[in-house]
Amino acid sequence: MGKALIKIKPKKYKVGDIVKVDFITIHPMDTGLKKDKKSGKIIPAKFINEVSFFYNDKLITKMNIWETVSTNPYFSVNMKITEPGVVKVTYKDNTGESAEKTKKIKPKG
Amino acid sequence: MKRRNFLKGLAATAPLAMISTPMLLNAKEGPKGPNALDIKSALSAITSGKKVNKSDKIKLVVPEIAENGAVVPVKINVDHPMDEKNYVKAIHVLATENTNVRCADVVLTPANGKGYFATRIKLGKSQDVMALVELSDGSFISTQKPVKVTIGGCG
Repeated sequence: MGKALIKIKPKKYKVGDIVKVDFITIHPMDTGLKKDKKSGKIIPAKFINEVSFFYNDKLITKMNIWETVSTNPYFSVNMKITEPGVVKVTYKDNTGESAEKTKKIKPKG
Repeated sequence: MKRRNFLKGLAATAPLAMISTPMLLNAKEGPKGPNALDIKSALSAITSGKKVNKSDKIKLVVPEIAENGAVVPVKINVDHPMDEKNYVKAIHVLATENTNVRCADVVLTPANGKGYFATRIKLGKSQDVMALVELSDGSFISTQKPVKVTIGGCG
């Protein structure tokens, strides 16, 4: 699994604010329709099928994803800041690989 | 991780996706993917036969003309309260004429604060993109918008 990135927008926020959580990762998201140009064989499907957002170990959003989502998928949801802590995103693809990425939440004021 | 390297990696992979896209357009029927699913069966699988009302509560933002079907940004805003009892339960993104119409199912909770979701999807040809929203009382609302695609992106 490739690298991942979590961004909180806007950068400065305080308790009670609703912020945007952007998650992006590097993944081929092969549909299983495309042929390899050199060998002529069909590239088997490989796509992320599950993404979960956790805020201090509490599940806030769960997504089921299909191969119709673009290469290097990007997902964005909103989140209400209630306390300092950690946002964790876990993601899994159809071949069973999985990974996770965390980002600290530090509200000011 | 260095942000600069990460963005470089993204830029390098984007043209690859563009080159390999027009394959689907050549085939008349289009190859069946492993998860081929049409809009009727997808709708019945999600709603299990319930009525879907059209609503202007959902704000669906898609480009009118997408030059590259492999990357079509989709933004959905639902104008609905997010209380403990009354909230947006799920947002489904459907591309009505892809081989697999389902793109993403997003299950939200009141902790999200707002019914919002954004992503980027692939479109094989010009078609309608549909946002189907399930509310916490079990009712469904939907809206859809046409997108013109210059180069298809599902190959």
